Amino acid sequence: MTNAASSLYTESARTKKRNSAERRFKAYGLAAIGAGLFFLVVLLWQIIGNGAGAFLQTRLSLPIALDTAAIEKAEGSMMKTSGYNKLIVAGLEGAMEAQGIKAVLDKKAAKALLSSGAPNTLRQFVLKNPDKLGQTVTLSLAGSSRLDGYLKGRVTRDSIADDKAIRPEHLDLADALQGAGLLRKSFNWGFITGNDASDLRPEQSGMGQSVLGSLAMMLVVLAVCLPVSVAASIYLEEFAPKNRLTAFIEVNISNLAAVPSIVYGILALAAFIQFGGGTMGIEAFRASAPLVGGLALSLMTLPTIIIATRAALKAVPQSIRDAALGVGASQMQAVFHHVLPLAMPGIMTGTIIGLAAALGETAPLLLIGMVAFVQTDIASASSFFTDPNVGMPAQIYIWATRADGAWYERAWGGIILLLIFLALMNAVAIFLRRKFERRW
Amino acid sequence: MLDATHPNGPQTETPVSTQSKLSAKDVNVHYGDTHAIKDVNVEIDDKTVTAFIGPSGCGKSTFLRCLNRMNDTIDICRVTGLITLDGEDIYNPKVDPVQLRAKVGMVFQKPNPFPKSIFDNVAYGPRIHGMAADKAALEQIVETALKRAALWGEVKDRLHAPGTGLSGGQQQRLCIARAVATEPEVLLMDEPCSALDPIATAQVEELIDELRQNFSVVIVTHSMQQAARVSQKTAFFHLGNLVEFGETSQIFTNPHDARTESYITGRIG
Repeated sequence: MTNAASSLYTESARTKKRNSAERRFKAYGLAAIGAGLFFLVVLLWQIIGNGAGAFLQTRLSLPIALDTAAIEKAEGSMMKTSGYNKLIVAGLEGAMEAQGIKAVLDKKAAKALLSSGAPNTLRQFVLKNPDKLGQTVTLSLAGSSRLDGYLKGRVTRDSIADDKAIRPEHLDLADALQGAGLLRKSFNWGFITGNDASDLRPEQSGMGQSVLGSLAMMLVVLAVCLPVSVAASIYLEEFAPKNRLTAFIEVNISNLAAVPSIVYGILALAAFIQFGGGTMGIEAFRASAPLVGGLALSLMTLPTIIIATRAALKAVPQSIRDAALGVGASQMQAVFHHVLPLAMPGIMTGTIIGLAAALGETAPLLLIGMVAFVQTDIASASSFFTDPNVGMPAQIYIWATRADGAWYERAWGGIILLLIFLALMNAVAIFLRRKFERRW
Repeated sequence: MLDATHPNGPQTETPVSTQSKLSAKDVNVHYGDTHAIKDVNVEIDDKTVTAFIGPSGCGKSTFLRCLNRMNDTIDICRVTGLITLDGEDIYNPKVDPVQLRAKVGMVFQKPNPFPKSIFDNVAYGPRIHGMAADKAALEQIVETALKRAALWGEVKDRLHAPGTGLSGGQQQRLCIARAVATEPEVLLMDEPCSALDPIATAQVEELIDELRQNFSVVIVTHSMQQAARVSQKTAFFHLGNLVEFGETSQIFTNPHDARTESYITGRIG
């Protein structure tokens, strides 16, 4: 190479090659991140687009005359709600007349537009407010899932061509009702607080029960995993001799973290429900109980939290242990006075991340029957852990398997709720880490 | 577990009559397959500064850590031979290393204050050993220790500030204060000045000289000038052997061994 060619102003061939390799590598990295962000946006778009509707519910506000004689008659009959249904239909007729809407309101039309749970809503209102008997009250009643879907654009005149539940003339009536201002979409608190509902009443269903079920399971997981994993990690990291047995245990803890969750489900089924509940006759260990679900998830979460806890303990510098031992602290004092407090943010973060993973786990719940159809509210605190219940992801799974498009919307809505809980837990983890992190 | 790692440990209960504070006889240390310390015999006197010098990896730190059984925390480390403190075998199975370390304190190479307040750093040892009856007594102990470590004047107005917020030299003096607060009889210092600048080093050296009034001090150092400045006795280690041990003045002016002479004149190491 001549002197002229080695001027600093010209790139040599090698430099060119190196620089372009670096540019290529940066481009790959950017492309990978870009692809990741793109799919994240698509995912969020899908979830919110499909699921946001679940948080809105179409309602009809109707003036209903609470005729004392009719209500007494309804309460005296076997099918109490059908009597109430008549009152609602009468109220709807009255409203249509007042607004000048001319249409035939037969039984079918009322059924097509109103939720089949509406009569029960009215009955509950009457039972709660007996003083309102004989008066006319304005009630906001849930519309049927078809009506709801029509207002949200899910149900169209084309899509109902083969639908037996609703006819095009019913949609004409819905248009007229909306024109008269009787229909409105409002925030669906029932979706957050309510229980599951039968196949035909998606508009009445809610995630509330499954939120409680998941909460119960998370409490069990926390109560089991935190003490066990902290004790195991401290022993392994600080006290256990380094020999083949401990090395074997360490490798297998890592292996356990990679075991598919359904395996833990079948283990819980065999150990807790069949052996514990069946053979040993332990009352609390029964199918569909959050206690058992929580124990199954604990089995799954333990290795994750142990690994996180050990990493947090490992990250505490050896010099801190030396310092404590050097002034005559015992090994346990060194650990509990100095190492553990320093490792605490890491342990808490690991625990919450482990809990978040457990919250989203579905497979073990399916195996131990935590897909219960729960209609009644939980009776008492003691049955909170043992009454049959359902977890949030399991509830989403149940809804997603049902045929009606309205259930599909609910499933996506459930996913939004689940993601909100996960984001909250992660936010708490980040907050704790920031707050308690110490630097040295 | 702590005792189990020393199956071949010497077991003598009868006090060995000796003038010195700490005494090592035929001490061998193995790290797994490595023979780190070979047949070391050393006598450490009370109220004296003893310096261990030698090239890196010669085993001087390893030997120092045998003197308060800090090597117990290392699983693969095996110590044989006899080490006595006031004539008592420190590797006797009856000896609790925790009690031993209360008598034989240690200051480490890198300043390692606890991430707590200056006060809590110094008070930690006295607290766990139950040395103070009440808060006033504890405050007295902390003040005395900080004064001995020549740090009191600099920190007396911010005792509750974090110890990790001090400068490097102050941190090391805080660690020394923490070590002397438990009233040890021997103070082991493992290259206490290697992370310090010359001014902080001078302060710590001055401090070591003062500590000699009350304690027996053993200091490992890489700096021969430091050994010459602060110590009365010097031991030269080479490749795991104690090559020469004697009065500092004699070692540095008239070494008996050719290897010692090569080292202090800078030909090896």
